[in-house]
Amino acid sequence: MLEMFSEPQFWAGVFKIIMIDLLLSGDNAVVIALACRNLPEAQRRKGILYGVGGAIGLRVVLTFFAVGLLALPYLKLVGALLLLWIGIKLILPEDDAHAEGNIKAEAHLWGAVKTIIIADFVMSLDNVLGVAAAAHGNVWLLVFGLLVSIPMIAWSSQLVLKLIDRYPWIIYAGGALLGYVAGEMLVTEAALKPVVGTWHALHGLVPILGAVFVLAVGRWLALRKTGTTTVIDLVDKTIPAQIGDKS
Amino acid sequence: MKLLIPVDGSDNALRALKLAIEEAMALRTRPEMLLLNVQWNVAAGNVKLFIDQETINDYYREQGEIALKSAREAVAAAGLTYRYHISIGTPAEAIARYAAEENVDRIVMGRQGQGGLQSLLLGSVANRLLHLTDKPVLLVN
Repeated sequence: MLEMFSEPQFWAGVFKIIMIDLLLSGDNAVVIALACRNLPEAQRRKGILYGVGGAIGLRVVLTFFAVGLLALPYLKLVGALLLLWIGIKLILPEDDAHAEGNIKAEAHLWGAVKTIIIADFVMSLDNVLGVAAAAHGNVWLLVFGLLVSIPMIAWSSQLVLKLIDRYPWIIYAGGALLGYVAGEMLVTEAALKPVVGTWHALHGLVPILGAVFVLAVGRWLALRKTGTTTVIDLVDKTIPAQIGDKS
Repeated sequence: MKLLIPVDGSDNALRALKLAIEEAMALRTRPEMLLLNVQWNVAAGNVKLFIDQETINDYYREQGEIALKSAREAVAAAGLTYRYHISIGTPAEAIARYAAEENVDRIVMGRQGQGGLQSLLLGSVANRLLHLTDKPVLLVN
């Protein structure tokens, strides 16, 4: 077990996993906080607690499933395709069409918890899949990825989200990374072994193609979206001078 | 005359505002005071899939009101007419855009708002603003 610490591949895995966790876990905490916003003060803490607990629990369960499932034939293929999509989704600007269809933040505890569990599931799936791909079946790395993502959910730090807003190239780097690990996952797919086995160059080539694919498709789709304003005005009020206050 | 004072709720921002108020009081015709708070666009991407826009806006509004509170009190105490505005976006870009939209005569702000790791990683808003706006900027230490 100890010799793995001296392998550069292991540290590359650690780096990839930290990046993936940072990029795919930050907004989970925001969803939890916002879903509990309309709850009465007393229930809000409870809602956040359940939400964070649920997110961590789902991640643990999904991580174990991921290990078992990815050993089955063709599932790495599916996983790789999903990862390519997650990478593209990361690059795409937010879609306002979705915003109209969803429900108002619930005013009672179980409604909020329901929203959180669904959100937790979707976001954990993204995260666990990314980490599983980067871990290459190394269980230690998988658990490490799990542990890194937990504080990200528990202590809602908006710093990563602000960084992404300030430096938009971060999401392109993240998208490329997800494309790369998708490619890595693809070449280890058992069903593709006859092909990959004979063309050894594919091991290096496919991950790079994955990264380029995500960047190209993400960029292309992002450009097709028209006129997304980066600054939104929310409140604008005029307050007249208070006569007699102090002049 | 229009003065734009971006505030983030920090003491530095408040110090800049106090200077702006002093200057405003010295003028024969009281200038228009524009207070601006910019909320980072943190509820992007996945968040919008699960949380409706109204709740997100309520959150931004609440955070914005908190950041503006002490600044509004200071201007009101001086007996000045003011406007306040909350925008969502990247601070420097949002300030520059609002300054251009309102065609303000001057921007008065703290050299640095909330410090720490955050400002180290995100860079100085004031510094970035200088590159984005053609309005005169007064930085207060």
